[in-house]
Amino acid sequence: MLSVSDRRQAGAGDGERPGRAGLASRVGLAGPAARGGRPARAGRDRRRDLLVIAVVVAVLSLWPFVAPNPYMLSAGVIVLNYAVFATGWNLMGGFTGYISLGHTAFFGLGAYGTALLVVNTGMPSFVALVVAAIGTLVVAIPVGFAALRVRGASFVIVTIALVLVLQLVFQSWHTVTGGSNGLVVPRPFPDLLRPEHHRAFYFIFLGLLALALVLWALVNHSRFGAGLKAVREDEDKAESLGIPTATLKLVAFTLSALVVALAGGLYGLWFGDLDPIFQFDVVLSAQIVLMALLGGTRFLFGPLLGAVVIGVALEYFVLNYGQTQLHLVATGLLLAIVVLFLPDGVLTGAQQLVGRFRPQATSIRELSAEQLRDEQTATAAGGPPVTATGGPPATSAAEPTARHAAPAAPTDEQEGPR
Amino acid sequence: MVSGSLLFQSLILGLLLGGLYALLAAGLTLYFGIMRVVMLAHSAFIILAAYIAWWFSTATGLDPMLSLLATVPAFFAIGYLMQRFLLSRLRPATMTMMSVLLTFAIALIIEGLLGMVFSGTQRRINLPYGASSIELLTARIPVVQVISFALAGVSLLALFAVLKYTRFGRALRATIQHPQAAQLVGIDTNRTAGFGFGLGLATAAVGGAALSLQATIYPSLHWHWIGPLMAIIVVGGLGSIPGAAIAALLLGVLRVMLELPLGPTWAQTIFYLALFATLMVRPQGFFGGRLAQRF
Repeated sequence: MLSVSDRRQAGAGDGERPGRAGLASRVGLAGPAARGGRPARAGRDRRRDLLVIAVVVAVLSLWPFVAPNPYMLSAGVIVLNYAVFATGWNLMGGFTGYISLGHTAFFGLGAYGTALLVVNTGMPSFVALVVAAIGTLVVAIPVGFAALRVRGASFVIVTIALVLVLQLVFQSWHTVTGGSNGLVVPRPFPDLLRPEHHRAFYFIFLGLLALALVLWALVNHSRFGAGLKAVREDEDKAESLGIPTATLKLVAFTLSALVVALAGGLYGLWFGDLDPIFQFDVVLSAQIVLMALLGGTRFLFGPLLGAVVIGVALEYFVLNYGQTQLHLVATGLLLAIVVLFLPDGVLTGAQQLVGRFRPQATSIRELSAEQLRDEQTATAAGGPPVTATGGPPATSAAEPTARHAAPAAPTDEQEGPR
Repeated sequence: MVSGSLLFQSLILGLLLGGLYALLAAGLTLYFGIMRVVMLAHSAFIILAAYIAWWFSTATGLDPMLSLLATVPAFFAIGYLMQRFLLSRLRPATMTMMSVLLTFAIALIIEGLLGMVFSGTQRRINLPYGASSIELLTARIPVVQVISFALAGVSLLALFAVLKYTRFGRALRATIQHPQAAQLVGIDTNRTAGFGFGLGLATAAVGGAALSLQATIYPSLHWHWIGPLMAIIVVGGLGSIPGAAIAALLLGVLRVMLELPLGPTWAQTIFYLALFATLMVRPQGFFGGRLAQRF
């Protein structure tokens, strides 16, 4: 029976083979009954995702209780910070395929915005955090508008330039930002001792991570998300189908900037000291991209997984080789290895491995006569009347819309050699 | 008020600086033209070459320019190998994005290794002619700037001659214009692309040696070069060598001119302003050819 399970498998595999998966899912859509079941499936997937997020967040919330010392707790805060950053980045990078090396700019703007608001206006810390994040969002709109006018290479150049120019400005503008002397951010909880401070921020970061994950999951199962994925697979075709690609990209870009700005502001409040060199650092951008890629940009938990792996590795490097430049070499080597050998991420590989042992995931996916007969019986029983007598062309011809007939017919040949 | 002679001096210095920018940006446009690769490691290789020149000069006491005899062929070979064994392995569909990340990784590795080998200390070559300058009308031009400009000019002319008059140059231009068609007429596009890459990286070797004459070098210096060079190729139109050259001269002059009222750091932002303005007004760049239209 080629229905929900097969389609989900096809949908989940859309990462590595967009073309074929597209055809496969169209085959899956061939039955009217199946098409009718689609919104229900999206709703179920959404509920499943939210449930898994709740479980993951619950597991992560155990860390402060098992962490052996305050240092490990603070490392946990850093890893969570990376995780929020990477998940926020993935709202843009994962859905549209636009690799931004400039999100550190929003991270830094969020941090500096929060700090400057607290220092200069005496605003309560968390109000300042939200105001700064909204301010960053406003900044991200024209930036995104400029950057998204171009694709590919130029887009990456613009995003890098954004970080470099902000670093330059924040370093030079001594009177406001303190330049390289740093900017001290007042703590939101002045009476807490250091370990309690870490603990409080661990849970705040965890809450933000949960929000970011939920946002990603909601977008993933929405029409908006489908449009973004269409941009990723083939922007020109998406545009010709009437998808407002420019608007969608801009919305995704600003949403992702908002999440990253919140992470930055929170980081500023937690760490308490800002320096343009570290806040507007292209290397940090690269590390975030590395995290997202390592885990898998098409997965809800890909960036989180990458953040845990790379974040822990980075902490280890800083701890053991803090004075040398080895961490740069390590980041570079890891990035090169991931780009060359694991561009789809660990989770895609794991999924393929699992898929290999699943009974329905055969290497050749095509409709057997038996499956067709089953499907026809199913549609005849549930859906509108079907006049087909058997064989793939006939099934397609039975489709109310002729549009599906064209792609369905050559499917068998194209799927064959797989 | 700024005096006329100061303006004149800035104009000359800007042109000299622009010449160096033009040479380095030409390398970037070569990579982009051939493989659609944005080579973020270009400036890291420049710094690497500058370090080799500095190390050679302090170890032997000879002129750092002589290090070019070794670095130019070596960088050519590295570029060839990089293209054949790393970049060409990437999937065509995601080539542009992934190549950015890959070359970024290479830049980080170079920066890290430089930091480990030579430490983060700032280095500078002591040259007998380091402080001397030439009087030209009312302007005083440092000799090292003239040398680096001459080096850039000679290399650019050589690059132009190779592209224009040799068999390899014709093959390379054909590969840039239309790889499939080039293959049809019997060009080994893979090898040509590899050599083109080597050529681009060789310009980084020359640029690095020129830089070592006049600048204090440290491992993370390449960040200061990435931005301006990227801005130049976007303003010039990606993939267009003449466009990059014009943009380089223009922005070089503008930058040095702006240093008078604004100081060196703020003047640097002109590159980024130009970059964003270009994207707002004319995303395909101002001086680009047909290739630029597509990106």
